[in-house]
Amino acid sequence: MTDGWEEDLLPIGASEWTPGRARHLLDRAGFGGTPKEVARLAAMSPEAAVGWFIDFGAIDNSHLPPFDPSGIYDPSLTPFPATRPAATRLAAETGAAMGVAAKPSGPRRLQPVADRFFFWIRASMLETRRVANWWADRMVATNRPLQEKLALFWHGHFASSEEKVRDYRKMLGQVLLFQQYAAGNFGALLSAVTRDPAMLIFLDAGQNVKGRPNENFGRELMELFTMGVGHYSEQDIREAARAFTGWRDKDLSFHIDAAQHDGGEKTVLGHTGPLDGQDVLDIILAQPATAGFIAGKLYRFLVRDDLSSQFQDRLGDLLRSNNYEIAPFLRTVFLSRDFYSPASIGAHIKGPVELIVSTYRRLGLTATPGMPDFNSSSTDLGQALLNPPTVAGWSQGRAWITPGSLLQRGNFARAVLLPDVIAFTDPNLDPYPPQLRTFSAHIRAGEDITKASNLVDGSEAKQTEGAGMATANLLSEHEEFNTHYASLKGWEEAVRRVKPTPRGAAQFSLTNLVLEGGARSSTEAVDCLIACFLSTPLDSAARDAAVAFLEGELGTADLDRAKTYLEEPLRLTAHVIMSTPEYQLA
Amino acid sequence: MLKGLRLGEIGRRDVLRAGLIGLGGGIAGFGVGPVHEASASAPAGVGSRILVVVELSGANDGLNTIVPYTNDAYYRARPKLGVRPEKLRRLDDEFGVQSGMAGFERLFKDGQLAIVHGVGYDNPSFSHFTSMAYWQTGAPNSGDPYGWLGRLADTLDPSGGDNYIVDVEARQSLAVRARVHVPLTFFQPDRFKRDATYEEESALDRLAAPRTARNSAEAFLYDVAASAQRAEVHVREACAAYRTPIDYGLVRFGLERVAALIAAGFPTRIYYVSYPHNAFDTHVNQADTHARLLTYTSDHIAAFLGDMARIGRGPDVAVMVFSEFGRRVAENANLGTDHGTAGPSFIAGQAVRGGHYGAMPDLTALDDGNMRFTTEFRRVYATMAATWMGCQDPAPVLKGEFEPLPVFQA
Repeated sequence: MTDGWEEDLLPIGASEWTPGRARHLLDRAGFGGTPKEVARLAAMSPEAAVGWFIDFGAIDNSHLPPFDPSGIYDPSLTPFPATRPAATRLAAETGAAMGVAAKPSGPRRLQPVADRFFFWIRASMLETRRVANWWADRMVATNRPLQEKLALFWHGHFASSEEKVRDYRKMLGQVLLFQQYAAGNFGALLSAVTRDPAMLIFLDAGQNVKGRPNENFGRELMELFTMGVGHYSEQDIREAARAFTGWRDKDLSFHIDAAQHDGGEKTVLGHTGPLDGQDVLDIILAQPATAGFIAGKLYRFLVRDDLSSQFQDRLGDLLRSNNYEIAPFLRTVFLSRDFYSPASIGAHIKGPVELIVSTYRRLGLTATPGMPDFNSSSTDLGQALLNPPTVAGWSQGRAWITPGSLLQRGNFARAVLLPDVIAFTDPNLDPYPPQLRTFSAHIRAGEDITKASNLVDGSEAKQTEGAGMATANLLSEHEEFNTHYASLKGWEEAVRRVKPTPRGAAQFSLTNLVLEGGARSSTEAVDCLIACFLSTPLDSAARDAAVAFLEGELGTADLDRAKTYLEEPLRLTAHVIMSTPEYQLA
Repeated sequence: MLKGLRLGEIGRRDVLRAGLIGLGGGIAGFGVGPVHEASASAPAGVGSRILVVVELSGANDGLNTIVPYTNDAYYRARPKLGVRPEKLRRLDDEFGVQSGMAGFERLFKDGQLAIVHGVGYDNPSFSHFTSMAYWQTGAPNSGDPYGWLGRLADTLDPSGGDNYIVDVEARQSLAVRARVHVPLTFFQPDRFKRDATYEEESALDRLAAPRTARNSAEAFLYDVAASAQRAEVHVREACAAYRTPIDYGLVRFGLERVAALIAAGFPTRIYYVSYPHNAFDTHVNQADTHARLLTYTSDHIAAFLGDMARIGRGPDVAVMVFSEFGRRVAENANLGTDHGTAGPSFIAGQAVRGGHYGAMPDLTALDDGNMRFTTEFRRVYATMAATWMGCQDPAPVLKGEFEPLPVFQA
């Protein structure tokens, strides 16, 4: 019946709508869900089910709170010095930096300034973890799952990292932008992102000046954000960079520094004139390559990795004929026979954040638990939100999976199902960098700052040893302030002022899940767990192994006889099932 | 020919013992005796040789790495960023390295560092991702699904024995992707571990066993699950047991983990490590940052080779260092440098005949502000694949005929 559905964009018929296909839609347009949610979608028509995801603007989401800032920022932090040496140099020259004065006399005159620098770097890092946690909470609790799924997509597409931006407010602003434009118009999103302060900083727009254009922005715009390689020349990049000269962030807003803008004639992709940045964006949007690139990337993220170039061209035409409106494009995709063809089902390797959020949604949670820590889990699995590894974001699909990360995925499931409440510590209290723990202990034990620094660097011990010493450790120590001490003081103030993250374990009952699913035997219980957690079933040998394990833990095949102690054996069995290769697929 | 030493076939106790012997240090040839015996038929112990590839991601500024300090054109192009002669460690009367690169200076003066100048390729891409893909596949513009090291492993050992390639990275590199071999990829050895209770172990093992795959993604996951199951304990224990007095520097981007596995007698012949996260992409205020990156890199590589000598594997190990391209000759307005073309590669180790290879590009005959490459990058690969690793037929690996550089005694 599904023969020939591959690459067929015609909609499936109402009679072809099944619970399995409803679940597939829930997995891909959202983050998966409970059997109840699958049943609700299965009871609709395919058009209504797809519409529920896509027309999310009408759905009430008022239960989701806005981000709750800790209040670490004040205006004296803007402009923030580019580097620590720049901060202390500024203070040495002018007597103050970041609202903090150098001491008039005495040793380490610039210490308060160095402390201040590290305070903001660390506080912004910790607050960014809170932003990521808040965002994860929305993914878990939202009534508009497609909105968050697409925001996650755009975050990977228009990747910026807090490590470089160094301001949680700008990272938060960017997430809000992705949520706002999630399924909107790509051209409008592109215009907004190229004026977004975090992006402008991330791509060094501030350094793109008349006469000495910085190509970074122009290159990433064409290669990563719009057309992909092969559709423009190096000359196009240089000319485009000129068009964006003078584009700047002004704290949380955008402005054009007219004095730094090159108003001269440029030629980009065959168009000549005194082009400005928006002109270049319009020229790029008119290229068929842009529509194909964006449509293909969305398709790979939401449907499947393997995509013929002819089909990508058709998807590009579809997106362009919808004037880059994402919603109608996705409506066609999600209703298409192709989307429900065997090539698309169970062929998608979940990314780390998707894996985590889908685990919580399948368990029916309404918030992200504090234990395990969301950021630690996602970072361990290879996707630290708001800190993508490069401007290209994350490679999707198979790139997520290594032997190490596969084991970690099983460990994550275990940390949710059976958290280690004794070993768990709040990772936001783990000092950064880790050597601070030793340094702090020396300081608190009454050691002087220089001695404590040398002990931490290991320079005393190693200098006597003579050989094998790393050159880095020989670099001279600064005299006007101590970097270790600044790092410690900055960390202490950051931890004191950033609001704590609640650390509760996930609340759920697999006993209820299995009993409400009508299971009466160990076999039926395992089938229930498999149906709840896996998008594609286990083969019979694997299923039998899971049944044998549960039965061994229960001491019986009869759930009724084990009903007073079901939870722990079910959780162990769920851990075994969630450790399988199948659990990585949706 | 290495069948006897496949890690999958040695017991975990043997690995642990090899690692523990490593604690004593300096015992030449421990844990590797079988390798030498097994490879007695191969020419000159080639079968026990190890190739370690170090990737410097982000496009290393070669001109400020191996500085042509007698070249006026260099200082003209870089009035602010040019490193003054008095700040350099001079290698000879033409080139110097930055002050933090004592490790590279020592290797060079000991005759263990080959500097290959002007490495690049025709029609250069200025995109990190494209150029890195060219380097990693060894096949520009081909979209080849496999890496050059993956193809090398498939050629040298078509049976696809366990753990022939180890990639010390959080994400598997395209360079090691192979048709036959499943590279062992891990980053943090202490996290390369399945958490489970005693009761769960056998059920977890049974559910990790490969089954009939319904699609290619599932087949891929089954392969990786099997690889994880085979290597998990060995990697963790080898790394945990390894002790060395050598200081690997402030940024230990993976070679100390390579040393642990080599010391533990892993059968691996190809290791891949990366200085990750596009770190070398120094568009803005690059002087301090780049000097630090070079210091860390030089410290780490010199330490590793020193450690190999210490455990008696010095003659068996060669390190190859590359970056996806160099940077423009002229500095930019922001005290940084933009994407360029050719740059130096390095080959280091006891077996290396140190010195200069290839030709330094002419800084007065630039192509639109960029150096013209003098050494096709696959000549460096041919050197490693054919001369060092003993690959008899490197043409399919490198997708063409490339002449090796005379870096090793043939």
